[in-house]
Parts: sequence; structure tokens; C-alpha cells
Amino acid sequence: MTGSLARRARHERVLLLLPVVLLLALVVGVPALRVVLLGFTRTELADGVVSSWAGLATHARTFADGRFLSALRNTAVFTSLSVSLEVTLGMALALLLDRSFRGRGALRAVVLVPWALPTSVMALAWAWIFHDTFGMANDLLSRLGLIEAPVAWLARPATAMAALVVADAWKTTPFVALILLAGLQAVPSEVLEAARVDGAGSWQRFRRITLPLLVPSLVVATLFRSIQAWGAFDIVYVMTGGGPGGSTETLSLYAFQSWFRYLDFGYGAAIAVQGMLVALLLAAVVVKLASRRETA
Amino acid sequence: MNRRRAWTAAILALLLPVPACHGDEGRDRAGVTLRMLVPANERPFWLPLAESFSRARPGVSLELEEGPVPTDLRESLTTSALLSGDGAFDLVYLDVTWTPKLAAAGWLRPLDDDFGEGKRAELLPQALAAGIYRGRLYRLPFRTDVGLLYYRADLLAAAGIAPPRTFAQLEETARRLQSPPDRWGFLWQGAQYEGLVCFFLEVLHGHGGFWIEPESLRVGLDRPEAEAALAFLVRARAPGGISPPGVAAYREEETRQLFQGGRAVLLRSWPYVWRLAQREGSAVAGRLGVLPVPTLSGAPGSGTLGGWGLAVARASRHPAEAVAFLRHATSLESQRLFCAPTGFAPARIDAYSDPALLAANPFLAELLPIHASATARPVVARYAQASDVLQRHLTAALAGLETTREALAAAARETRLVLGDSP
Repeated sequence: MTGSLARRARHERVLLLLPVVLLLALVVGVPALRVVLLGFTRTELADGVVSSWAGLATHARTFADGRFLSALRNTAVFTSLSVSLEVTLGMALALLLDRSFRGRGALRAVVLVPWALPTSVMALAWAWIFHDTFGMANDLLSRLGLIEAPVAWLARPATAMAALVVADAWKTTPFVALILLAGLQAVPSEVLEAARVDGAGSWQRFRRITLPLLVPSLVVATLFRSIQAWGAFDIVYVMTGGGPGGSTETLSLYAFQSWFRYLDFGYGAAIAVQGMLVALLLAAVVVKLASRRETA
Repeated sequence: MNRRRAWTAAILALLLPVPACHGDEGRDRAGVTLRMLVPANERPFWLPLAESFSRARPGVSLELEEGPVPTDLRESLTTSALLSGDGAFDLVYLDVTWTPKLAAAGWLRPLDDDFGEGKRAELLPQALAAGIYRGRLYRLPFRTDVGLLYYRADLLAAAGIAPPRTFAQLEETARRLQSPPDRWGFLWQGAQYEGLVCFFLEVLHGHGGFWIEPESLRVGLDRPEAEAALAFLVRARAPGGISPPGVAAYREEETRQLFQGGRAVLLRSWPYVWRLAQREGSAVAGRLGVLPVPTLSGAPGSGTLGGWGLAVARASRHPAEAVAFLRHATSLESQRLFCAPTGFAPARIDAYSDPALLAANPFLAELLPIHASATARPVVARYAQASDVLQRHLTAALAGLETTREALAAAARETRLVLGDSP
């Protein structure tokens, strides 16, 4: 009797989940599978768009493609710089917002504004901020006496990458802060109180209690941000277009160009798939490191 | 009971989004609706054309979809719409460089039988030729663009300097009249995008060089003329040069705003600048002169041909009506409707002597001879790849990542690879 009830309940669960599963399979699974398959073909513009099975040949093209390797490097640099900056700043912001002070509620809301803005809009604003003649960055720095001549931020490889990282950090630090803030609020105050009574200083309390308890939140924030940064497209597309000299071109941008400008669909798919594999590997490493820490 | 309810819920959930997809089937039955994607900022000026078209052909209407303003965004939107092959757009509003690619992909309808010699003779020959791929006509020019050199007539006159015709005169003029960083000598488009290629081609042709010969597919980037041309760009923005260092990140609008604010002596740009810079509130209104781009010898240079045209999508279910719209849009009256309020340069030859258009935009009279010597970009199917190769190496040289020789040698090698197994 109870067995059949349980079975019915299970059936019902499956049935209720079915629409979502089917929908996801339709809008995510099928296109993703199609991209993976496309990566094993040579599908490109000839007389019409022609397609033939190529096995691993299309994937092998990336190894000899300097532009792919440079895009891979740029993506890695952008991801590691922006995520580490965001996690550091996000932590500081979360600690600040966790304290009680007047106007905290309002500040918590205001902090989220950058995160709520569409990326392309804020990227356009940042492109103007880094404009060498009209830009706020140069104005501010020269008023402070930090630079003598205006810097052409977006026209030099290193400063263009730095500008992208700063803009990305501005946009997504609130997201990291929000996740860490939620984590901070789950840290039991009794434990902190007890540590204080035992004479632990504020750094010790942070280092020995808050930080270890915050690891799950840090993992989530780092993981989300790394995957997002790895796929960065809009901010680069708007601010630098991948320039100068391809020094800020990311994998997503290259895949996009291959598809929509070159009509080289097979190769675009191969780039996307290889990028995805690296992202999955990255995620696995982060999760693995975190779980090892937790068990240790 | 519960089970049945769950099934019902599941089926309903799957069916719910479906009815919305069939919403606009009924509209076609009343008459024919043509669809076209236009940049949002041009749509207000297309509306009168759409109206006059449906007046001329009752039962046929033109629906103008608002697209993004940047060209490359609209290029990808157009590509994905054509790729799906479902006839989402009947008409394609396309940049001069898209024709070979879209024609080679088989997405455009050949127009040879629809537009004979008589119609073709009405249009600017360079602009018309840009719509021909492998001997077949796919695109009619609608509005044209050509690279120009703007100069501050007031500053030059005050200093007693003649408008610059050669590269040496240009550098000399810029150097004498500039006082950086408040006023720079020469502005151009140096960001990594198509505009840089357009400008570089003018300098390259002015030095007697070439990029790709469309017939033989010969690549001229590793020849001494190309090196001299690139050296001119690099010298212009080097410290102590005539252009701001930031020029390597500028597109059209940044340069126009600086120039319009009175912060430059010379500007390389397109015809649209004229109207905006002469407007009330512009710091340079009434102080402008315009010239063909310079050359080594001082003969009038050849500006890069730009501009937008119209084509019919092969997947269109109403090709006859779409062709009729092309005919309508390239009539003198339509060109007047569109070009008078926008200041864009028309594609019809007789529009350049049309009193109504000349009254709205006297500058047109000066444009016709400049148009006549314009140079089209190479008509190859893999134009986008070739252009990207050039853009990357030009900006690398401008940023000092590569020497001019390295940049051009690499660009030439990669361009040959791109064209090597080109269809």
C-alpha cells in the first residue's frame, strides 16, 4: 500500500518536472548539442554555405591558429584579473555592509545599481570614461597629479585590458558582495562573541572564524564569476572590439566573429566548444580545491 | 485523478507558448507586407518612403524593423535572419562590403533581369559596381559615402596656408596650426574596426599602393608603398606627431565631436559630418572646407567608397513587390525624401543637380567629382576575414606591438592564406 503510494508520488514528481526538463532540453540541450556536432564539421561559406564531416580536423585548426591562442591567453588574463579583483573588493564591501550603521538599508540597495545595469550600456559609459580627451579617468588622474599627459587607455594593449578589468569589476563586485553578505549573515554571532570573550582580535576572528565559514559562499561567487568572465563578450565588444591589435579579443568574441562575419560555422563551433571545455575544467578545479579545504 | 491532473498540467505547460507564434499569419492575407531591417536612427526618414510606396502600390506595405545603429551589430542580425532562410526579411539594407559575402552564400536574389541598362545608368557607376558579384547584380545603391578631408578654412586662411593636397603639405599644415592637447593637427579613425581600413586604403592608394587586386587576388601589403603608407599613420600619432595618441581608439563619432568642438585642424571622415558641423551650436559652423583625400603627387586622391544599398532576399515570398520597392526607393523623388532631411549623399546621378536637394544641402555639388574618383573595397567573398587581418596588424603597428614592416609582412601572409582557399 505504502509502496504504491510512494511510487505514485514519484510518478507525479516526474510528471511535474517533465515540462521543465523538456523545455530545457529544447532550448538548451538541442542547440548545445548542435554546436558540439557542428564543431566536427567543416561548415563554411563557399558557393553557398556547404557542410561536410571533418572529424577532429576543425578542432585541430585551433592549435596552429595564433589568433585562437592569443584569444585564449586574453580570456585567461581577463578572467583571473577580474575575478580576483572582484572577490577582494566584494569581500571588503560585504564586510562593510554587514556592520550596522545608519542608512545601511539604502546603501545595500544603491550598491546593487551597477549589477542591475545592462552590460552594454555600462560598457559604453566606461569607454567614455577612458576616452583620452573627454574621459573622466584622465581628468581625475591629472588633477591628482598622477599623470602628466593624457593616457590613451583603450589604444594600448596593457591599459586597454586594465580598463576592461576595472569596468567589469565595477559591474560585478556588487554581485560578489551580495553572495558574501548572505554568507556573512549565516556566521553565528555567538561563536564570534565567544572568540571575543576569549581575547581574539578582529583579524584573528576574521581569519579563524569568518573566513572558514565563508568558504562555501566564496566558492559559489568565484565559480559564477569565473564562468561568466570566461564567456565575456558584450563588455569587450563595446569597449575595445578586441583591439588594439587583437590584444583584448576573448574566445567568445572570436567565435562570434567566425560565425557572423566569416560564416565559418564549423570553426566558430570548435572555438566555442574548446572554450567551454576549459571553463568546465576550471570549474572542476575550483570545486575540487574548495572541497578539499572543507574536509581538511 | 491526480495523475491525470498532472498530465494535463504538463501538456498545458508545453502548449501555452505555442499560440503566440502564429499570431501574425492573418495579416498577410489582407495584402502583401514587406519587411526590412533599418538602423533605428534612420527609421524616421524611411517612413515617408514606406508611405509613398504603399500609396503607389495599394495593398503592399513596408514594415520597417528597428535595428541597432552600429553596422557590425546589424551585420550579424542580418546574417542570422538570412541564415534561418525563413524569409523574415524580404528586403536587405546592406553595407557596400556585405554584397560578396551574402551573394556567395546564396541569400540574395540576382537582379539582372529586373534592372536593365536604363535603370543602371541613373546610378553612380562606382556605387552600382559595388553591388555586382561574379558578373551578376545583387544590390542597388541607395545612399553613398566617400572618404573626405575636412579642414578649418578660417585657420588656414588666417595663416595664409593653401588647403593641403599632398601628405607632406598635410603634415606641414597640421604641425603649424596645432597646439596640442587643446588643438590637434589631424584626426582620423584608428580603432580596430572597418573605419580604419577605409582610411588606410586612402593613404595606401595615395602612396600608389594596393591591398587586394580583385581579379588576380594579388596582395600588395608587403610592398614599399604600403610600408610608406603605414609609416605615415604611425608617424602621425607618435609622440610629437600631428594626431592625439588616443586616435588609435577613435571611431567616426569621437573624431567628429573633437573636430566639431574646434579641437582639430584637419579631419578625415564621411559626408555626414558636413551637415552636423555646420549646425547651429557647432564651434566650427561656417569655418569648414572640404577636399579630396591627399596623395603623394597632389593629384586629387581617391576616397574609399562606402554607402548603403538595397537587395532582395532569396527567401522572400514576395520578390516582385520587393523589386518594385527597389525601383521606388531609387527614384529621384524617394532620394529627395530621404537625403534632404538626413544630409546623406544620394545614389542617383541626377540627384546631385536637383534644385530641391541642393537647396537643402549645397555641399552635394562638391561631392559629385569626389564620388567619381572613389575606390571600392575589394569584392571578395571573404572580405570580412581579409579586413580583420588588416585591422589587427594596423592597430598592432599603431600600438607599437609590431614594426610597420612586421605588421605588413604578417598581414600580407595571412591575407594570402584567407584568399588562398577562397571560393
